[in-house]
Amino acid sequence: MENFAVGKPTPLLDGQAKVSGQTRYVGDLKMRGMLHARLVVSVYAHANVKRIDTSEALAVSGVHSVITAADLPYVTPSSRNKLMLARDRVLFVGHPIAVVLAETEAAAADAAEKVHIDYEPLAAVVTMDEAMAEDAPIIWPTGVPSGAGDEGAHGADVGGDEKGTDKKTHSNIADVAQSSRGDVEKALAEADLILEHTYTTPMVHQSSIETQGVMAQPDSITGGVTMWVSTQTPFGIRNDVAGVIGVPESDVRVHAAPVGGAFGAKFGLYEPLVALLAKAVGRTVRLILTRNEELLTTNPAPPMRVDAKIGLKTDGTLTAIDIHVTLDSGIYPSGLGSFSAYMMTSFYPVSNYRTIATNVVTNKQSDGAYRAPTAPTVIFVLDTLLDEAAEKLGINPLELKMKNCAKPGDLLANDKPWPKMGMQETIEQVKAHPLWQKRNNGKAKGHGIGMAVGGWMGGIEPGAAVCKLNRDGILQVQTGSADLTGVHTVFGQLAAEAFGIAPDKVRVVYSDTDSAPYAGGVGGSKTLYTMGSAVVRAAQEARKQVLEIAAEEFEAAVDDLEIVDGKVQVKGVPEKTIELGAIASKAMTFGGKYPPIHANGRQAITAQSPGFAAQIAEVAVDEETGEVRVVNLVIIQDVGKAINPLIVEGQIQGGAVQGIGWALYEQMHYDESGQLLSGSWMDYTVPDAVQAAPLETILIEIPSDAGPFGAKGVGEPPVIPTAAAIANAIADATGARLTDLPMTAPRVLQALTDKSS
Amino acid sequence: MWPKEFDYVRASSVDDAIQQTSDNTDAKILAGGHSLLPAMKLRLSEPGKLVDISRLADLKGISANGTLSIGAMSTHAEIAASADVQQYCASLATACGMVGDHQVRNFGTLGGNIAHADPASDPPTVLVAAGATIHIKRSRGERSVSAEDFFIDLFTTDLEDGEVITRIEVPNLSGHKAAYVKMPHPASRYAIVGVAVILEMDGDTCKSARVAVGGATVSAMRASGAESALSGSSLDDAALNAAASAVQSDISDALMGDVSYPESYRQAMSGVYLKRAVKAALG
Repeated sequence: MENFAVGKPTPLLDGQAKVSGQTRYVGDLKMRGMLHARLVVSVYAHANVKRIDTSEALAVSGVHSVITAADLPYVTPSSRNKLMLARDRVLFVGHPIAVVLAETEAAAADAAEKVHIDYEPLAAVVTMDEAMAEDAPIIWPTGVPSGAGDEGAHGADVGGDEKGTDKKTHSNIADVAQSSRGDVEKALAEADLILEHTYTTPMVHQSSIETQGVMAQPDSITGGVTMWVSTQTPFGIRNDVAGVIGVPESDVRVHAAPVGGAFGAKFGLYEPLVALLAKAVGRTVRLILTRNEELLTTNPAPPMRVDAKIGLKTDGTLTAIDIHVTLDSGIYPSGLGSFSAYMMTSFYPVSNYRTIATNVVTNKQSDGAYRAPTAPTVIFVLDTLLDEAAEKLGINPLELKMKNCAKPGDLLANDKPWPKMGMQETIEQVKAHPLWQKRNNGKAKGHGIGMAVGGWMGGIEPGAAVCKLNRDGILQVQTGSADLTGVHTVFGQLAAEAFGIAPDKVRVVYSDTDSAPYAGGVGGSKTLYTMGSAVVRAAQEARKQVLEIAAEEFEAAVDDLEIVDGKVQVKGVPEKTIELGAIASKAMTFGGKYPPIHANGRQAITAQSPGFAAQIAEVAVDEETGEVRVVNLVIIQDVGKAINPLIVEGQIQGGAVQGIGWALYEQMHYDESGQLLSGSWMDYTVPDAVQAAPLETILIEIPSDAGPFGAKGVGEPPVIPTAAAIANAIADATGARLTDLPMTAPRVLQALTDKSS
Repeated sequence: MWPKEFDYVRASSVDDAIQQTSDNTDAKILAGGHSLLPAMKLRLSEPGKLVDISRLADLKGISANGTLSIGAMSTHAEIAASADVQQYCASLATACGMVGDHQVRNFGTLGGNIAHADPASDPPTVLVAAGATIHIKRSRGERSVSAEDFFIDLFTTDLEDGEVITRIEVPNLSGHKAAYVKMPHPASRYAIVGVAVILEMDGDTCKSARVAVGGATVSAMRASGAESALSGSSLDDAALNAAASAVQSDISDALMGDVSYPESYRQAMSGVYLKRAVKAALG
């Protein structure tokens, strides 16, 4: 029954307001008595803080206060969003030490320059190799924290008492996870072809247009706070903040403000600190990061190194994968290393594998989630290796990938079966595409064509939604999902479809954590899949409630009724109808006899629905300069069911352009002392229209069993295979195989020089 | 981002601007503001007073009478679109058309650009190659300096406190073959390397050549070795290779790089882009 909304390209509900500047982000919100916060951050990667002199800053006109750790309650710094202000030791350049609170942003900025800090610099570990060196300075002398309440986390506020810590008992290695299947040594010994390379991928920043923004208003009666946050996860923020400020979560109310981009970076960072500041001074406090702070002190994607070895038979059968992943987490370990190893041994199931995943900590900002965390690295390694193997074995790379790729029922790395998914089908679409067929026939000089395929398991999280019918006949959908990537627009389409009403008769409203039912964070390619199902159930339940009232009015059976054009009628009897608004009115009136239409939809889907994207990249390589231009990029993605093809294509295109950034441009550079060298968008290249290629999006629909109308997550997959597809295209054009991202012009030129010498 | 508090005055005349900046070393001239204001917002520059000269009619206008005279407050957009500039020194129009984005080109001025002397900006490289003259007014009168001598180092020029650039004079190069080409930084579009060539041709022979390099160097600078290699040649592959090699030596003491595009890469690219500039000039 796709009569109303599902499958129809529908513009974003929030599009007009955003494009015309009407959207009010956190940075546009002002409260009476609001103070502006400005961070004072460490200029050293590792140092003891000897003295903080705030006197000159306090003398600046308009300054309310300068807050240091001494003014705030102690919080165990067990994770990045519990770091608060440095007590005696700073752990990275950008580590907040003090916060200026002022009546104006200008006064706060002036005063922040006048907070004088005496440092005693300490030896820092900046790279993963320095971190693992025998005599490395230890970042966490009492043990690397691994989560809330971890005792080792006390190391962040070390005073003198930890100086005698035996370094041998601790290191900067947070954890080492190992996994294996079969006999890798034997399989490699018996392989006809062995390929072995070391790959590196850099720290990459999510770089949304809107920086992190938080506003907190204290409640002096309850001790709680009300917050307005640019966030993917209002309920997550509520929990984090309540834990840190020590109140029940019911005393924290979080409003998800409109979000100007997140990509995984907005899963909680400065909210607990801003809540503490607001409580400390008893006034509303707002913190909006500058671009420089955004790059310096948030939670970007981690640098990774992968030592990879694979074995194949002459017929192209992959027989062994031997992988060592080293992941540089910055000061807090994310634990993403073992997850990346899991993916590396799942996409191309193999009888013999061995993985080691080492997470190290370094004196840099902590890592976090960035769209498909670690997956672009995983596919860069796997897919370029397989491409090279195909070349060496004289097999078409597409056929080799097709032969080895995971199919439903094949074993994941954890020996569980792959659920229904379409990795193979996306590769088949590549084979049929004219751009791929041009690879061996008709390419321009200096051009190369490559393909890669990658996927995402698909997230899950329980959640609920509410539908209400208003007296004007409008169906109101209420959720606690922040409106990112068009989820509200799609919720409206789903509700219209499930209820049986035109989409313009549906209003989707975001509700804060006090008024909305629980919703998980918007991220992990799970919102449409899970929350969408809750919305559908709520709309179906609302329909049922409406028809029950109408049935009584008509003295007919519910099953004999239908909703047509916003009216309920007996099937096939259009002469006698009741407007939906009239039904709502009967249930919302003094002396009425029907309960109001108020429907809940709940879900706790446990089945994952992996989504796959295959990409074909055509590049032009300038062999004199090493510059690579993406001439064409085709993205073929299994989306289950495109509820809104317009949004789906937009999301896929955005992901692919971020993939171009991974491939060719983006890297956060640190110097040997731990200073960030790419602290602005003048230095850090976020791809824009000039670098983006002509993009062709092809949707294929292999319906999921659990998602609404067969839909599955769309967000993660498109960023995953781009770097690998471009690397394979560069190899096709030049014969050079690059193993380090980004593949900048100097690196490509070097690879070309190395190849010819 | 908030600059430190500052005073703002709009100068009533060039002399007024000179006086206001001579009396107060904490004052800075404000032209189009598209370099200065970002620097102030980043607190890299903290002047106490800005003296705005952007609306002074004396400093505006482009004329061509034997030589090209460009008022210092001409915007990049005006220069890029000027028929006179196109005729006398088309590569300057090209370079001004490459600066920043539309907003920058509509507000940013050539005078402000060269006073700022960003080593990776485009117009200085063309001005040096073209043999332009910078006319400067000060309380003691007026003086002029060649573009080649004007650009001294990173963000450093021959300009002194209390001096105002009034106009930029460019010879008539309409009979020359000229080009400016650059490799743009993917983030900022500033030149990783930019090369300007101006060739005086006699049939197929290059009678004389002027070459300047920017982006790869601490300031826009002439490349005399490359000029010698091109002059008198037929601009064949051998001459171009010799010039490409020479330009790398010419700039070897003045190289500038960053972590993504190090000095050695920019140096090598100066040779590649020199060849491209000559080919572009010859059309």
